[in-house]
Amino acid sequence: MWVKITVDTRHTRPLPTRKTTPTRGIQITTVAINNNNNNSNLASHILSSLQGRIKTQTTGGGYQSTSYSNQTAGGYPSADYSNQTPTTSNQGNYTSNPYQNYTPDAANIHSSAAAATPPVHYQQNYQQWPGYYSQTEVPCAPGTEKLPAASAFSQSFPVTNEMPASSGQPAPSYAQPWRQETDSSQPPSQQPAAAVSASNDAYWMHQTPNQQAYYPVPPQNHYQSPLETKPFYETPIQGHQRATYPQELNSQSSIHQAPLTYRQPTQTTPSVDTQRVSKIQIPTNPRIASNLPSGYTKMDKGRSPAGATQTPAYVSVSMSNPKGHTTAMPEPGTFPKSLCGFVERAFARCKDDKEKASCQASLKKIITEATNDGTINTRDWDTEPLSTVLNTDVTNTEPSSAPISSLQNKSPTRRPKSRWEPLVESKPFVKSAPTFTTGVKFGGWNHQNENNKKSSDSFQKVDAVTGSKPSYYAQDSAKKIFQRPVKRQRFSSGSSTANDNDSSSDSEKDLTPYYSSAMSLASSADEKKRRDSRSKRFEKVQGHSRGNDIPKPKISNFRRGTALRLGQDLDESGSRAVEDMDWDALTVKGTCQEIEKRYLRLTSAPEPSTVRPEDVLEKALLMVQDSPKNYLYKCDQLKSIRQDLTVQRIHNHLTAKVYETHARFALEAGDLTEYNQCLSQLKILYAEGIEGCTLEFAAYSLLYITLHSNNNRELLSSMSRLSKEAKKDEAVRHALSVRAAVTSGNYVMFFRLYKTAPNMNSCLMDLYVEKMRYKAVTFMSRSCRPTIPVSYLAQVLGFAGTSSEGAGEKEIDGMEECSEWLKAHGASLIADSNGDMVLDTKASSTSLFMPEPEDAVAHGDRYLDVNDFFTRT
Amino acid sequence: MAYVSMGEAHRRITEYLNRFCDAVSYQDSSMLCRLLSFSSNSPSLISLADALNVFQDASSLIRQSEKFSEYGEILAHLFRSLQSYRVGNLVEAYLAFDKFANAFVQEFRNWESAWALEALYVVCYEIRILAEKADKELTSNGKSPEKLKAAGSLLMKVFGVLAGKGPKRVGALYVTCQLFKTYFKLGTVNLCRSVIRSIETARIFDFEEFPRRDKVTYMYYTGRLEVFNENFPAADTKLSYALQHCNPRRERNIRMILKYLIPVKLSLGIIPKDELLQKYNLHEYMNVVQALRKGDLRLLRHALQEHEDRFLRSGVYLVLEKLELQVYQRLMKKIYIIQKLSDPARAHQLKLEVIAKALRWLEIDMDLDEVECIMTILIYKNLVKGYLAHKSKVVVLSKQDPFPKLNGKPVSS
Repeated sequence: MWVKITVDTRHTRPLPTRKTTPTRGIQITTVAINNNNNNSNLASHILSSLQGRIKTQTTGGGYQSTSYSNQTAGGYPSADYSNQTPTTSNQGNYTSNPYQNYTPDAANIHSSAAAATPPVHYQQNYQQWPGYYSQTEVPCAPGTEKLPAASAFSQSFPVTNEMPASSGQPAPSYAQPWRQETDSSQPPSQQPAAAVSASNDAYWMHQTPNQQAYYPVPPQNHYQSPLETKPFYETPIQGHQRATYPQELNSQSSIHQAPLTYRQPTQTTPSVDTQRVSKIQIPTNPRIASNLPSGYTKMDKGRSPAGATQTPAYVSVSMSNPKGHTTAMPEPGTFPKSLCGFVERAFARCKDDKEKASCQASLKKIITEATNDGTINTRDWDTEPLSTVLNTDVTNTEPSSAPISSLQNKSPTRRPKSRWEPLVESKPFVKSAPTFTTGVKFGGWNHQNENNKKSSDSFQKVDAVTGSKPSYYAQDSAKKIFQRPVKRQRFSSGSSTANDNDSSSDSEKDLTPYYSSAMSLASSADEKKRRDSRSKRFEKVQGHSRGNDIPKPKISNFRRGTALRLGQDLDESGSRAVEDMDWDALTVKGTCQEIEKRYLRLTSAPEPSTVRPEDVLEKALLMVQDSPKNYLYKCDQLKSIRQDLTVQRIHNHLTAKVYETHARFALEAGDLTEYNQCLSQLKILYAEGIEGCTLEFAAYSLLYITLHSNNNRELLSSMSRLSKEAKKDEAVRHALSVRAAVTSGNYVMFFRLYKTAPNMNSCLMDLYVEKMRYKAVTFMSRSCRPTIPVSYLAQVLGFAGTSSEGAGEKEIDGMEECSEWLKAHGASLIADSNGDMVLDTKASSTSLFMPEPEDAVAHGDRYLDVNDFFTRT
Repeated sequence: MAYVSMGEAHRRITEYLNRFCDAVSYQDSSMLCRLLSFSSNSPSLISLADALNVFQDASSLIRQSEKFSEYGEILAHLFRSLQSYRVGNLVEAYLAFDKFANAFVQEFRNWESAWALEALYVVCYEIRILAEKADKELTSNGKSPEKLKAAGSLLMKVFGVLAGKGPKRVGALYVTCQLFKTYFKLGTVNLCRSVIRSIETARIFDFEEFPRRDKVTYMYYTGRLEVFNENFPAADTKLSYALQHCNPRRERNIRMILKYLIPVKLSLGIIPKDELLQKYNLHEYMNVVQALRKGDLRLLRHALQEHEDRFLRSGVYLVLEKLELQVYQRLMKKIYIIQKLSDPARAHQLKLEVIAKALRWLEIDMDLDEVECIMTILIYKNLVKGYLAHKSKVVVLSKQDPFPKLNGKPVSS
């Protein structure tokens, strides 16, 4: 039943800001359904309901449905649960693919049967819509990086892998997909116990608590603006892609079972990747690119606490591959894991290709020696000093940059890891040239062997796609096992850790402390540089490949370059005056067309592709103004609008309007901190002569000073600044009267003004009501004898429904509220001879107290509440 | 500008340089003061400025002689400042003067005795005045005025130079007063706190040791600060000290002190004589005092409205507004006295109706709820003794001293 519910929430609540999540949610839910195989009726029911929704989502994106149907036709005629297919959606079909991977008994035959066919369709699809597939590469790569190598089924849960990255950002909208994941992922992780390695179990264990934190969060997102349909199309494909690739890979590997052959295509992919990624990724989905650098780092960090199971899957593969290919060493599988770790460590220390080459040479020597004297399996590689390998200049190697450089610096001799290249290299085209040719070569080879219909071009696309899922390489061995009964048995009987040629969690465990320590060592300056270079590489890639829109990236490149140079100049000299900078040249011109954007504090120079230009911001403001959502969502959106305005240095009526709007919302919600920020900006804007609701805000600031800052000097100066005209304004007059009432303590006047407050004046007064009431009751209980009727207090102190027209019930409500309030403040209430409640003033005069506010939090800002934080949006 | 020949210019500059060096070497403070005070617009300085504008290469003249070049840095900046000042480029003048002042303070630090204290005062004064003028120029050019702020930090530096054990410490209060003036002008009075703390708590300073004029100025400004804080007894003490010790012939200064002292005294229930207000031309307080005497709420409100801008600017508006309660007290007392005349037995019962009627006569419209609220406040603040019977809408006054006088104590909060 819960499956159904989660599916529902998924679709009624699309999350446009996070393009990737929704589909993942679908994917996972359906996977869960498939696992409960006997519930196929339920599953098919859900899937069919899914189908309807998906279709509505993707209308307009016709390509999608075509790709699905292709797949359905090819991939599933022989499937065990093909009875589902007629009724179910396309999504349902593709998601059932991963299922076969981890339900060994059923999937065995099935997978081999299904495996051979899909590639045809996929490749056709890719041909048709290359942009979409390659586009998703970027988001995939960081997430899948951490997939546990040995588990094939983990592919179907890409979201979980990415979670550490995304959770770093305050993005509660993820909460739902995650939650579903947790729900749905539990059963599979337990059910196919044989298939799931120990590391996977650990992996889930690790994930679960995180997700449970989000669990209680009530679902709240309903927003979706028309423009966001675009990201929507992307997402289903992405999920789809994830699920289907394994099939394709399997097919490749099943046909060419020799490790050499099936690995080669994977090698070639990165270079093709580069091209693919660069071509389409940025124009269509700017957020992904911009998010990546940060997500990247976060993942690096997230890796260390995540435990060994989360350490990169590529480690083991990348180790075995170079050995197998380049150094003509014995079968990589025969190496102890600790040796792999050792080699990996050694390579991680290398800064450039030259070093890497020398490192490799010395490694080769060491390993050959070890093999010859038979110590290769006995030696403790974990403690083997790296200095023996890195005698070149270990000292020069910054420890902080080590993990990154291991990703960044790809030597041709270490191709397997080059799938990182498109992400890391700043000059991918120069470097990838040789690999590209190999790619073509293998492409031809593949194409011959597998499918005659494919052109080499299409093959490249396939590779591009495979390249987008680096984890698959890591899982090659695992997949191999799944496909060959013998090996699979070994896998299930032993475990991934026991198998020497599997990616070993042992060596990963060894690496983990290394990574974590390296990360902790990372100094901020280095980190910053790296971040810069990382974001720069996207610019370059973008600039290279965006044929139709070259000028813009170039400009942005130029800007970014200038910014970087400036930064360097500042770093170096530190003496350059701020005034000397040409800010105009550095000002970003946004190109983003999305109306909705989450606020994220900039940690580097703004990316033009993520910054919305003025006209879009105007729409965004309207959207927020009309939005029925809660304040936290609005605040977030307005902050992002403000940020975009700031980075583009827009100072005009729109800026004033945005700040005014935000200030009003903040007042409405009683968020004084945000209100103050807006007000101080507004003061600057008004001082610049920008028109706005000057008087309205003059009234607010008067009220604020009167009621909250309690600073006589400030009050005097702001009063003396009011012009004659301003004093005639209704709102300002009201504010001045409130001030008079407050300074004299005239509570009757105060609550009368409270009821007649114009604009949002009452919102500011709200925050003083409590104090005023307390003051009034204190005054009265000191001065009046013997009693005061509660009804009078309720009327004078502005409790609900005391207005003259609201008779009867309302009055009683106000009285009840009033007596509650009085009791809460320690007043002594008695019934008089008529049975009416009266305040015993003499008794009360000594017993009154100000209770602690109920919503008080230890850190003083109730808007920083954890639950609020998660429910934002 | 009178024509100045090259030779004449050379002569004037050399003369000035000679006099400066003599003043320093003979430790002639008054001479040095005269040489430095720009704002005095003395003919000798004006003629020097003209000469400098003709004879552009004054710095080479300074370098020529070993005697002059000892103070080369001081003099070069001073000349440049004077030059700019003369041609009306006040921002430039300020910038050069700032450099001069820094060099001068550096030199002053090296002089063992405090002989040049007076000259330092002149420098402190001039830089403040010059900064104000420069800011005016900047504002008129549409730029943000920031020179006074800069002058403030320079003065703070000078304060640091003087705040020591030596004989120079008596100069600290003068600089403090200049700082007060700067901060009050800038509206950053909270910055005063640090100097005040060091003056009042540091052991090196003995307040009585400072020159009288500085003490008066200091008390005036700290008294004003207390007015802002509505700490009336303290403000009373400080302003009264200033009034007692200031030069009785300086009417302007006395007026300035009274401007704050009168509202403070009023808040403490002490009403000045009309002669005092007349003598020092403090007409704006006339009606306020009158209202207090008569219990005429309307008059007080009118007076406040009439002089609102002035009171807001000087910062006494809120203080005067608070006098309203005393006016109410006076009004109640009047009603009580009138009631006593007609019916002494029931005079101690003030009906809210009656009070509302009295206020209506003053053209102040209040309903019973509001009147009750005011009475509640009066009783709470001990301006009226008694209690309010809510049911019967009557204020029952205490038989004994129903309207206690403040007698120098502030209205309890």
